[in-house]
Amino acid sequence: MLLELRDIHKSFGEKKVLTGVSFKAESGKAFGLLGRNGAGKTTSIRILMDVFPANSGEVLLDGKPIDYKKVGIGYLPEERGLYPKKKIIDQLIYFAQLKGMKTPDAVKSIDQWLTRLGMTEYRNKRLDTLSKGNQQKIQLVTALAHDPEIVILDEPFSGLDPVNAMLLKDVVKEEIAKGKIVLFSSHQMSYIEEFCDSIAIINKGVVALTGDLYDIKREYPRDKLAIRSTQREKIAAAFPGKTSVAENGELILKLSDPGEKMAVMQRLSREFDIDEVRVFEPSLNDIFVEYAGEQE
Amino acid sequence: MGQFSKIFKFELKGYLTNKVFVGVTAFIMVVLAVVLFFPRVADFFGGDDEPDDPGTVEPGERDVMLVKGGDESVRAALQEAFPDYEVRLEDGDIQTPVTQGEAECAVELRSLSDFTYYVDNLSMYDTNADTVSGVLTELYRLTAMTEAGVSPERAQEIMSTFTQYEVQSLGVDQGQNFFYTYIMIFALYMVILLYGQMVATNVATEKSSRAMEVLVTSARPNAMMFGKVMASCLAGFTQLVCIFGSALLFYKLNESYWAGVGIMGMFFDMPVALLVYMLVFFILGFLIYAFLYGAIGSTASKLEDINTSVMPVTMIFIAGFMVVVMAMTSGSVDNPLMVACSYIPFTSPMAMFTRIAMSHPAAYEIAISIAILAASCVGVGVVAAKIYRVGVLLYGASPKLKDILKAVKNA
Repeated sequence: MLLELRDIHKSFGEKKVLTGVSFKAESGKAFGLLGRNGAGKTTSIRILMDVFPANSGEVLLDGKPIDYKKVGIGYLPEERGLYPKKKIIDQLIYFAQLKGMKTPDAVKSIDQWLTRLGMTEYRNKRLDTLSKGNQQKIQLVTALAHDPEIVILDEPFSGLDPVNAMLLKDVVKEEIAKGKIVLFSSHQMSYIEEFCDSIAIINKGVVALTGDLYDIKREYPRDKLAIRSTQREKIAAAFPGKTSVAENGELILKLSDPGEKMAVMQRLSREFDIDEVRVFEPSLNDIFVEYAGEQE
Repeated sequence: MGQFSKIFKFELKGYLTNKVFVGVTAFIMVVLAVVLFFPRVADFFGGDDEPDDPGTVEPGERDVMLVKGGDESVRAALQEAFPDYEVRLEDGDIQTPVTQGEAECAVELRSLSDFTYYVDNLSMYDTNADTVSGVLTELYRLTAMTEAGVSPERAQEIMSTFTQYEVQSLGVDQGQNFFYTYIMIFALYMVILLYGQMVATNVATEKSSRAMEVLVTSARPNAMMFGKVMASCLAGFTQLVCIFGSALLFYKLNESYWAGVGIMGMFFDMPVALLVYMLVFFILGFLIYAFLYGAIGSTASKLEDINTSVMPVTMIFIAGFMVVVMAMTSGSVDNPLMVACSYIPFTSPMAMFTRIAMSHPAAYEIAISIAILAASCVGVGVVAAKIYRVGVLLYGASPKLKDILKAVKNA
């Protein structure tokens, strides 16, 4: 399956929220939707889930307009919360029913998920008696119990301890392996880098960058060198205005042209005491900051 | 339809398993049972208890009424009119004993036709001055007639003659209908306010607990809104049926014990047609307000905001209630204001129902009123659903009415 948002425009009153947003997510792979707060991620997700219509543009599944009656979507919202005063099993059944499940099937599936997440002891408890992390696991059941083809997880790892984060990682990997379309939205770039094959960075309602993460990294201009050396000041003085210091203490040297690479590397190793020099490959964090950061 | 029925069931179950809801209903039913079974129980246990005779109170225990400026005949006449008081003649200061609590009240006569009544704190229900006035007037007339040569017996006879009459109502007996109309209007008022607030709180709770985030992606807003409102309507209706049904049942079981108490019969001898009207106005009135409350609830992001947000609607409703109750107590239920109110959808459930119960509006008037109400109900429902759609996704400060309308237009 291929899920595609094509040229989505949306404004609330005078305020334009999305301008021509397009991206594609494939089944069996995870897709990362990135953007700063207020960039338009949640609006994109809501249009994708048909909470409200776009002003123009299409949501397509395998090239045809998506039929929400046939395609199941599971959603873990960033703002978590269910009914605090109601019994967990009751509300899980309710949400599964709203997604179109029959009660016996719902109960069966919910019990499987509660077992998988180690939550069976809380089955008949009220939600507000649970810790925040456990409430989040319950919320994950509402997103997955009806076995949806499309799974949308908004900041799934926030608020989880390392053990639960590991459990969630496994669950997500299983869902991807089952051939589902998994859509991630997160600020924690390390998780996106770990899971996602392709990404879209939304900035101020516009897709600033989209595509295969590996390709993006490959295509990133290879015009910077990362240098580890004890003589950073000397090097910086030798290349005035072209260097900066990365967070890990490496010196980043921007080349005027990628073709200079070999010449500069040779010069560096000849003139300075160099521990390591290599072509700088940006992390997703760097890419994100570059595309979504500066334009404030 | 599928989602609607699931939401409806879930919400209804929420009400019916709510401990407060069940507790309050059960409590009222128990109170009704206690009250309505009371004469039977009292009869069973205390059948041979002698009732207290008010005349056996010792003189020393009675309140004192002081009289200044009158003679023994005045004192005797007043003593006869006030058996609960010890009436004493007093020549000195009569105000101080009253303020110091030694006497309950005092009467200072300047003549038989002119007096001042003194009492420490004047109660709303103090009619002593009127009684004194009556006694003195009679005394004055008797004296005057005797002085004019009429024999005392003849004078007494003239004074005690009253014109005999009887009343036959050819329309509705407002006196009799007043009680159950009042009870029904009050029930309507309570149920609409209580459940309206509950719907608003319910929606706002879903929003503030963020359950809404998942709900909006799982169900259509229309199904959510209508499911909730209908469930609360049925819950409210169930509660009313439980309360009124149990009252009726308990009354019927004990009817013979209540035979002497006319007011009980007035409550329960309700015409069936009126019950049907009650049902119609209850359902339509409930729905129109519940839609409004639901829409308002959807625009609040915090529960604390609810009280201020619902104020305008509650005000309209209370104003309608006041108009109706005032018209009822004044007896002129067909006054122009009531006629106008009986066509305005937000007041017609109470106003028209009152007019039907206590007067006889033409059939076409009733039909028009119900038609307007039903049409408005649909209209308000549609608009409320739109506001709800937009409102449930708005967070932050409560949006202004202008913003909501704008958003609704764009939705």
